[in-house]
Amino acid sequence: MKLVTSETPPATPPLLQGAAALAFAGPMSAPWLAAVERLSQAGYGEPVVESYRRHSPEVAGKVGPNAGIALADSVSLLAIKAGRKAAELLPPAAAQAAGRVADAHRFRAFLNLMERLSSLAPESVSEVLIRIDRLLSRLDLSRLEAWVLAGIRYGGGDAQRRHGYFSFEDPEAERWLERESSDVTFEHVGRRLKYYLDALWRIRLPIREPSLRAPEASRRRTSFDRGMIRVPPVYPGFRDQQAEEIFRAALAHVAAHLTFTRDKFPARSLKPVQIALVSLIEDARVEKLAMREYPGLRRLWLPFHVAQPSGAKTAPTLLARLSRALIDPDFEDPDGWVQKSKEMFYAAREHWDDQQMSRVLGSLLGNDLGQMRIQFNAKTYVPEPPYRDDNVGLWDWGEQPNEMADEELLDESVRIVRQEEDDPDPPDRERQEPERDQGSANRARPEEQAPVDIGIPVARYPEHDHLIGRDRPDWVTVKEYEPRLGDPGEIERSIEANPELRFRIQAMIRAAKVSRPRRRRHMAEGEQLDLDAAIQAVLSQRIGESPDPRIYSTVMRQFRDLSVLLLLDISESTNDPIKGSRRPTLELEKQAVALLGEAMEGLGDPFAVAAFCSDGREDVHYLRIKDFSERFGALPLSRLAGLTGSLSTRMGAAIRHAGVELGKQTTYRRLLLLVTDGEPSDRDVPDRRYLVEDARYAVAGLTAHGIDTLCVGLDSGAENHLARIFGPRNTIMIDRIDRLPDRLPSLYFRLTR
Amino acid sequence: MLDDYLIADEPYYRPLGNEIALFEAAYAHRLPVMLKGPTGCGKTRFVEHMAWRLKRPIVTVSCHEDMTASDLVGRFLLDANGTLWHDGPLTLAVRHGAICYLDEIVEARQDTTVIIHSLTDDRRILPLEKKNELVRAHADFQLVISYNPGYQSVLKDLKESTKQRFVALDFDYPAAELEAKIVMHEASLPPAPAKLLVTVAAKSRNLKGHGLEEGASTRMLINAGLLMSKGVSFAEACQVAIVIPLTDDADLRDALRSAVAACQ
Repeated sequence: MKLVTSETPPATPPLLQGAAALAFAGPMSAPWLAAVERLSQAGYGEPVVESYRRHSPEVAGKVGPNAGIALADSVSLLAIKAGRKAAELLPPAAAQAAGRVADAHRFRAFLNLMERLSSLAPESVSEVLIRIDRLLSRLDLSRLEAWVLAGIRYGGGDAQRRHGYFSFEDPEAERWLERESSDVTFEHVGRRLKYYLDALWRIRLPIREPSLRAPEASRRRTSFDRGMIRVPPVYPGFRDQQAEEIFRAALAHVAAHLTFTRDKFPARSLKPVQIALVSLIEDARVEKLAMREYPGLRRLWLPFHVAQPSGAKTAPTLLARLSRALIDPDFEDPDGWVQKSKEMFYAAREHWDDQQMSRVLGSLLGNDLGQMRIQFNAKTYVPEPPYRDDNVGLWDWGEQPNEMADEELLDESVRIVRQEEDDPDPPDRERQEPERDQGSANRARPEEQAPVDIGIPVARYPEHDHLIGRDRPDWVTVKEYEPRLGDPGEIERSIEANPELRFRIQAMIRAAKVSRPRRRRHMAEGEQLDLDAAIQAVLSQRIGESPDPRIYSTVMRQFRDLSVLLLLDISESTNDPIKGSRRPTLELEKQAVALLGEAMEGLGDPFAVAAFCSDGREDVHYLRIKDFSERFGALPLSRLAGLTGSLSTRMGAAIRHAGVELGKQTTYRRLLLLVTDGEPSDRDVPDRRYLVEDARYAVAGLTAHGIDTLCVGLDSGAENHLARIFGPRNTIMIDRIDRLPDRLPSLYFRLTR
Repeated sequence: MLDDYLIADEPYYRPLGNEIALFEAAYAHRLPVMLKGPTGCGKTRFVEHMAWRLKRPIVTVSCHEDMTASDLVGRFLLDANGTLWHDGPLTLAVRHGAICYLDEIVEARQDTTVIIHSLTDDRRILPLEKKNELVRAHADFQLVISYNPGYQSVLKDLKESTKQRFVALDFDYPAAELEAKIVMHEASLPPAPAKLLVTVAAKSRNLKGHGLEEGASTRMLINAGLLMSKGVSFAEACQVAIVIPLTDDADLRDALRSAVAACQ
């Protein structure tokens, strides 16, 4: 391609030359010249102008001259926001992108994305532009956008962290790239696979993505260990149906190990090649046993064995061929070692039940391979086919620390204990909930010793990113903290001082009949005739008795059938005084909760109280003040009194967690009543709208599960955000506690319809 | 009077334990019996079998939530000449000495179920308030109810005062071998496919309480077996007789379908 050189005078050349002349012919030549002129006049430096001059004709050739001219504006914008280097890199990247997107409309979207990136993460624009071809080879535009936004989200407000992501120094970038570039991720199929494992094997272990700290090789394979299964988020190279099948095959293989590999093999004196072979034989052995029970598994596993009985004799290929020969008796391999191994394996058929057989056979075959002078590199070896696990779980490595971080195991153990506690009631539904004295009996063991300041991770939740319209899975960690105890005297005194207020709130709550509407027959008054009663009355008349006048029926909500969870925002801002007063918001919150709690306790409504604040997405604090099974007595009041305001407000995660708690209640209506002073925010989220939208999404999620979410806003000017999250009708704002009884009925009124 | 309610041919029933002897002993004293157990495990078949064995007519009532006491006891009806009392199924059984089987009693409203109380203690009477009559139970009358503890929601449960009046027999799905024999008999299947169906059922029962409300019942297996005896493939029979009826959840269906695939 002939290029316009820098010898061309920058200002208004008489004629276009070369590629530019072809790309911007006729009426397009003048606007292009004007664009070049603007860029050179702007003082971004000659390299920027030159880059534009050189690559804009390519863009024009691929997606039209208008796009080529519009590129100049983007170059200009990047120069201002992200610097000259980024501006210089844009035209060649744009040319590559134009080749990939191949239509003007999507090319514009690409430019828009780069412009957005330059305002959100100016330091990283160059990193993205350098890699644009690679990125676009894996991602279409919307996925590229999702990947870019994931990076911005990941970095929070930290430019260095963002840079680490966009330069791929941080493995998170690769992870998201894989996730975004695959059709089928574990996220899509995880739920059904959990059921699959449970149905076939009764295995109910938590299944997680590999830890980011895990070595690259083991991130490509499943892995299992004490109480957990790790599954790669994607299997690159597998698409559609096959991608789903490989996840299933992988989990079925792990299940076979968990069922038939009873003990770990001591690794002590074995050479790496022997370890690999013992693992391989063990893989084959447990699969044989599993297929005895479930013959259909053969159809699942076999298609992934694609090793061919030819080609170079390296350790990895020979091992892959042996794997195939062992699962498929019909597979013929001319190699002597493979043949011999296969024969030995089948000769030992009687001993397949004994896992020592793998150890003996594997060690022998490993020796053979060594004597054949075939090199084995343990560092690069990855078991084949890809559905098989990384073998780590088969071995006892002695004193080496476990790969899984202890913290995470603790997290999981708590989760498992919780899950077991949550199992359905005994068959007779004796719904005696365990008493929770001292606030810990119902908890997992680790927490008993836990000091107040250490949170126990109890759950992970996704977070909704409104920019890409998708959830980020497992994004937020909720940790439960033991509430400090305070002196409840003051709260009690302030309630005692307001007998009238107490009475009004109680009367108001009592008046709210929240239950399934029921038809009441046999009434003296009502909207409809009760046919049975009417006939009865006529009959009585004819028999000669005096008829019963109660011949009407009516539909009414007779009972209360409602459980409530009061969720308190205790972020730093609740220490601020409420508008027009000197009392801190938190004090008002405590008082409101004490009043409502007392009223509900008096009426026998099941209710719970919890509080939350947050310190970044990995640490959302959740404090249980009162559980559903507990009485609203001195201890919950002390916990309430001990609350202090600190940190931030990650509302969505707290709403999701509270929703899970409420979801276990079996009442007709379930209500989450959030008491807050303002908008969601957190230290790692610069974009204020993000958490608002996420909270809104969390509320919608609860609504979909039949849980009502209402908000009591303590006036701080955040009204608009709260109305956006909860809906204007579901939000009430109060600035004084004595306004509560006036405003609360409007919320309850919503529930009675 | 109750000839229509007599069971002529022996209903096929394979005992799981000594429930037949227990029931006979209870019947000897006319003790009311409660049959507990999951859906489709053979409770109704057992009562029918016992009625046949004891040569007693059996009046079966399927309870539902709109059922009133009148539906059980009876009511006055109008006719051209005035009013006419019509016995309900329970009164019929009480008067003439049948086994009255109230199927899925928790489905009935609680104010309905209390009318059986006076029949379940030594009084053995049924007051018909509207008719101002006290019906004394026939010597052969016996009350049997079925009750599915895990079924439905916690909102539905028997009153403690009702529960405590009954002798209870606990039913569960039969052991695999026995269940296979039942499926073989009822669906006229050879042993191998019957065994396969029972394996599938066991897998689905693993999910009870973990996604599924109930696992596949013996009844479902028989349905699948009947389809197979008409030439439907194993996978398809499982799909239409077990997987689709059991759940609407796409992920659960997929898991079950894959489990079925693994079994064959």
